[in-house]
Amino acid sequence: MTPILEIRDLHARISGGREIVKGISLTVNPGEVHAIMGPNGAGKSTLSSILAGKPGYEVTAGSVTYLGQDLLALAADERARAGVFLAFQYPVELPGVNNMYFLRTAMNAARRGRGEPELDAAQTLRAVRAKLKLLDIGEDLLQRPVNLGFSGGEKKRNEIFQMAMLEPRLAILDETDSGLDIDALRAVSNGVNKLRDPGRAIVMITHYQRLLDYIVPDHVHVLSEGRIVASGDKTLATELESRGYAHLGEAA
Amino acid sequence: MSANPVVTALRRVFEMCAEAAREPTWLTRRRAAAMTRFIELGVPGRGDEAWRFTDLRPLTAARAEPLTVADTGIDPDLLAAHRLPGAAHRIVVLNGRVRPELSAIGDLPDGVWLGSAADAITHRPDLAEAAFDNADTLGAQPFASLNAALFTDGFVLAIDPDVTLKFPVEILYLGDASGPCVYHVRNTILAGAGSQATVVETYAGTGASWTNAVTAIEVGESAKLSHVKIQAEDNAAIHFAMTRVRLAAASLYDGFVLITGARLSRQDIQVAMTGEAANLILNGAWLLRGDQEATLAPAVDHQSPGGQTSELLKGVLGDHAHGVFLGSVMVREGADGTNARQLNRNLLTSPTARVDTKPELTIYADEVKCGHGATVGDLDEAALFYLLSRGIDPVTARHMLIEAFAAEVFDTAALVPDVDAHARRYLQAWLDQEGAPA
Repeated sequence: MTPILEIRDLHARISGGREIVKGISLTVNPGEVHAIMGPNGAGKSTLSSILAGKPGYEVTAGSVTYLGQDLLALAADERARAGVFLAFQYPVELPGVNNMYFLRTAMNAARRGRGEPELDAAQTLRAVRAKLKLLDIGEDLLQRPVNLGFSGGEKKRNEIFQMAMLEPRLAILDETDSGLDIDALRAVSNGVNKLRDPGRAIVMITHYQRLLDYIVPDHVHVLSEGRIVASGDKTLATELESRGYAHLGEAA
Repeated sequence: MSANPVVTALRRVFEMCAEAAREPTWLTRRRAAAMTRFIELGVPGRGDEAWRFTDLRPLTAARAEPLTVADTGIDPDLLAAHRLPGAAHRIVVLNGRVRPELSAIGDLPDGVWLGSAADAITHRPDLAEAAFDNADTLGAQPFASLNAALFTDGFVLAIDPDVTLKFPVEILYLGDASGPCVYHVRNTILAGAGSQATVVETYAGTGASWTNAVTAIEVGESAKLSHVKIQAEDNAAIHFAMTRVRLAAASLYDGFVLITGARLSRQDIQVAMTGEAANLILNGAWLLRGDQEATLAPAVDHQSPGGQTSELLKGVLGDHAHGVFLGSVMVREGADGTNARQLNRNLLTSPTARVDTKPELTIYADEVKCGHGATVGDLDEAALFYLLSRGIDPVTARHMLIEAFAAEVFDTAALVPDVDAHARRYLQAWLDQEGAPA
């Protein structure tokens, strides 16, 4: 079985800055959900930025392979069309860009990439309606500019909704639980759980164990000072909750 | 000053025209006074505050010549490409002259006169004398004075009180200049008290012409005028236009201006609120690339109490383009209760594009609410990455962000559907030419 994601001894930094990721190795197979936990400054956001191809980061050593191909050789938009999806910690507001038009453009970019015919406005609307319920999103949200004036919960829901529409092979959820109240967390988690699929891998990056009560991972990794210092099953997260990051960092 | 070769050429043209013309005495006199004023003022230089950001070098003496070659007619496809999609009272101005055989004025409601300036002078001297006043020969607007001296044609729209025009009046200016030449067009809109109308002017000429237009507008008490101006001339053209608006009590001038054309252009919009509680809405955008330079200069004069001004003007500038915004709001003594907002926002899509923005606010009245602001920014990197991260390619992503930035003025203007579709067509045409990232 080809892993969906294979990270080998990855070292990276913010361009021109000091090294933040200091040798991460990780293999994610189809159908698996991995949680990467760690305190602030551990390198979680740098890792997700590098996987998504955000400018301003530099890989200094190591490799990232996605479905057998060199992920780092692809531009950000090429990665997305190849099936990599990043749910943003802080989804960006796009004034003047209609949500529906945005979704259609993104979906058609992926379809063109796969050699499939593009969807017209009516077909997009049908596809979108079918998945609105999944995230408990009102149709009015689609007629508004992307994320503009959305509440924190609406923004995060909209991220997972985009994931549902784009059907990635690899989804990276960056602090998807941050800033959510319990109802919003439940709605977002339900959405993610419905998107679990034998062909899809999900990497959740989070500071808190709370999210893992709702989306139960197959594997948990603890990131500290740019390295994975502990890996285990979901019980690792519980242990972390009771004993704290500091303890695990020392144990490694 | 008369040593300026442009002035010398214009003076020669004026003498030639004056000899050939057989016009009413009042007009001959006004033309002569206006020419005298133009010669006094001369072609402005960098020393003139109002023109100090503008590079007038493209304005050569060759551009001062009237078009001498015979008209060869017009490509019907060109006409179709630029006219309003729906029903309209249409006048086509070709190479500076109204062409009745290309125009389609159609049935006008009773109490509306619409025709060429030349027709008005011949058949409606009463109207023409009021329409072509010489107020601008007194001010310091050299090109408006020049226009008053040398105008060849234009349109006159006069609407009686309480008449509503159901369909827009459309003025389409086409040109097929094979070489440098000038069109001085002079237009007048007299909207009677309580009247309502929409006027759409589209300038879409080709060639290295110089358009020097003046549009004088009177909006009567409680009248509403929607005025859309699209300037999409050839990238070799020069376009100077002065729109002068007088607003009576409780009237509304709802203006929209879109500039995508011309190598060098300047659009002045001077609004005088002579009556109480008058309303000015002005939305617009200029979209420039290459080495285009455009100045947008709206000047609002709140002379009476209770006036409202709302301006949103945006610029998108790529390559080496240069945009100039000279916006002024004057609130005179006694114009209490004025409410004025003026906003100029600019998006630079290339490191070599430039913008000079100078919003000005002068207040001599009490209890006024006035705000003004200007911003200049680049494409938002975070927004760009968000689009890329959803699989949208960089060229499309840039288009989407530029379009979103410019579209705000269309959304705010909320033009009637046919006119909105017409205006957005020029936005789309501009976006379609937007190439790969710089």
